[in-house]
Amino acid sequence: MTRKAYIAIIVALVIFSTVIYFEKKSPAQTGPPGTETPGIKGRVMSTYGPLENARVRVPGSEHYALTDRQGMFTLPSGPLPGEKSRITAGKAGWFNNVQVPSVYGRPIDIFLNPVYLNDQPDYRFISPVTCAKCHGEVTRYWDRSKMAHTSSNPMVLDMFYGTDALNRQGVAPGYRLDNPKKNGECVACHAPSSAASGGAPRDLKAVLQSPLTEWDGISCDYCHKVRNVIPDAEKPSGRAAVLERQSSKRGSSILIFGPYDDVVTPPMAASYNPLFSEAKFCATCHSHYRKLDGEKGWDPKGVYSADEWEGLKMKNNRFLPIQTTFQEWEQWQKQLPFDDPNKGKKCQDCHMGWRKEMLPYDHYVVDGMARRMWGTYRSPQDIRPHHFDGGTQTQLKTALAMELEGEITGKNLDLNVYITNTNGGHWVPTGETMRSVMLVLNVSDSKGKPLKMIKGGTLPRWAGEGALAQGNYAGFPGAVFARILEDREGNLHAPFWRATGIYSDTRIRPKKTVALKFQFALTDPDDEPTAEADLIYRPVIKPLALKKRWVAEDILIARKVW
Amino acid sequence: MAHFFMTVSMALILVLTVPFHALAGGIKGKVMVKGLRSPANILVFVSKAPVFEGDVSKLNFVMDQRNLTFIPHILPVLAGATVQFPNHDKVSHNVFSLSRTKKFNLGSYAAGTSKDVVFDKPGIVELRCDVHAEMIAYIMVLKNPHWAVTDDQGNFRIPDKAFIAKQGLAGVAGLPAGKYVFKTWHEKLKSVKKTVEVPEEGNVTVQLNLRRGTPGVLYK
Repeated sequence: MTRKAYIAIIVALVIFSTVIYFEKKSPAQTGPPGTETPGIKGRVMSTYGPLENARVRVPGSEHYALTDRQGMFTLPSGPLPGEKSRITAGKAGWFNNVQVPSVYGRPIDIFLNPVYLNDQPDYRFISPVTCAKCHGEVTRYWDRSKMAHTSSNPMVLDMFYGTDALNRQGVAPGYRLDNPKKNGECVACHAPSSAASGGAPRDLKAVLQSPLTEWDGISCDYCHKVRNVIPDAEKPSGRAAVLERQSSKRGSSILIFGPYDDVVTPPMAASYNPLFSEAKFCATCHSHYRKLDGEKGWDPKGVYSADEWEGLKMKNNRFLPIQTTFQEWEQWQKQLPFDDPNKGKKCQDCHMGWRKEMLPYDHYVVDGMARRMWGTYRSPQDIRPHHFDGGTQTQLKTALAMELEGEITGKNLDLNVYITNTNGGHWVPTGETMRSVMLVLNVSDSKGKPLKMIKGGTLPRWAGEGALAQGNYAGFPGAVFARILEDREGNLHAPFWRATGIYSDTRIRPKKTVALKFQFALTDPDDEPTAEADLIYRPVIKPLALKKRWVAEDILIARKVW
Repeated sequence: MAHFFMTVSMALILVLTVPFHALAGGIKGKVMVKGLRSPANILVFVSKAPVFEGDVSKLNFVMDQRNLTFIPHILPVLAGATVQFPNHDKVSHNVFSLSRTKKFNLGSYAAGTSKDVVFDKPGIVELRCDVHAEMIAYIMVLKNPHWAVTDDQGNFRIPDKAFIAKQGLAGVAGLPAGKYVFKTWHEKLKSVKKTVEVPEEGNVTVQLNLRRGTPGVLYK
């Protein structure tokens, strides 16, 4: 061997060792711990260079790898035998993309294109009917939900136009009765795709009568066009959804944002957006304040503690909190220690979780032919059924729990009632201020004769005056839990557009227990009395339901007997 | 004299070899319900009876999670016992209770894993899952081991030998002869209590008719 050849071999060996050394030292991050075994390697690139923090995975896999500063990633393992041989990558602000791994184990490059900001206000939203062609089950759950019918909800229309269930005009309260020339901002949340379409009506009835199905409710294409949620003082919630509406040209795909970074199917140009897994997404509508006219504000002291008022995030006391579901959740989460099991729980966990009637679990979000062509097998853990359950019997029965304790001391019966917000991540009841929860006690001796209450509260007049069988509980021993708005004249249960203050807010805070004490006089100390406690959810307070002739049935959350 | 000792010894051997349960009785019966589809999962328990004298920590109580359901729906356990909560579902669960008998929160945990909780105080524990609103079950923490849970036909037997063996309560004998008060509990049925005379041997047979209503507390 010549001297030159010998040196060449030495140099080649040094170069090879250096490459191997640095390759092994590449700080490519991996998703879950314990999956750092060598597998598929590659790089996520763009026209602007390597992309850091892109999520790379075998489609449908629960585990993913994050790219490092050089765009490098290492997946612990590739597709299993029999699976489609694909690796996907996604990053917020970029279109997801796919690449086939090298059969020889060579590193692969996955190229991502940016989502250019080119929102088209004249865009026409896609009808849910179109989405149902591939996403049949998801659309079916959504269609059964309240979310799909926000613009055709008869109670919303009655409150807007000042009508009743028989469509009689001039039945107050009604937004239009007080503001004949205004549309309000109802469509911003009740028909957002209409509100976001240039030239579309701002009047709820016009939206409802329109043949454009995509305007009814909060439709698929509207939500999946949301790029971001930003503060906006002009909006009723103080937040605005930033849309990215891009018309699909002939032959090209439709821009869709979503929580998956591995959707790369041709009809959709999917872009991973973590916002879809955050509570902030829901804040666009599940928050509502009113700015009071004039300089005079209202006094939150006596209604809220300093911490609660701060947590409601009103700018000052000239802002009146009307619906604050998001803020209630936010302040609950904020006060939890980092190791609390509830830390990190968000709206989607409870309102988009699996329900028993949906079982057996589905492993796809697409159906029919689309499943065969583009379906990705997923763990049910990664699928969010779009039922948006809330205010239903199922939810309420597990949102609140009640316990009843009794003790006879001398001639008296002492009752302790404990009501706990077990499952609500917000105050209960939340949202609309016409909602209430009532505790109704019925205490009697062994012959069924009611016992006289010595200590404890009673239900107010607005719990209903009249026959008990019709759900009238005024004067009964018990308590109510509600946020009660008042107007300038001191009238309680004022509609939000007339409200100038909050009279009281006794709703039950997340995971907190309200303890109530009652005492009853026994007619015979040797008698064995019975105490019955009913916890009832009332979707509309009695006086309003009667006035509007609405059928709004109570839901019995819990009944306990001592 | 030798004959006397022989007789005494024989008598002692006879007494010691007779199974303890042969001197004890039990309660068996059937529960009929109105207003409920099935008479299953009704707890029948004796309110005052001899306590369990074995090691409670060695008992084996399990509340499983499958297909968004707690299994069983009603699990009677002895005060001081540990209950395992394995997750055999396809999704994560978060078991918790805010009942005054026992408050705990196991946090969200994945399929294939399990967690334990000790129940030290008698009473009713309502179990929930923080992310699946429909999931609900009850752990009934009892003072003594004389209980049974009705089958699909509403039948029960105290002591329930198969159940006892499953839970590791093998040392539990029947009830000594005497008068006992037993009660029922189901979340949708009005509780009833009844007094029975348990014989020295064999079972006393009862029939219970329960109506839809609200159950009472376990122990007043």
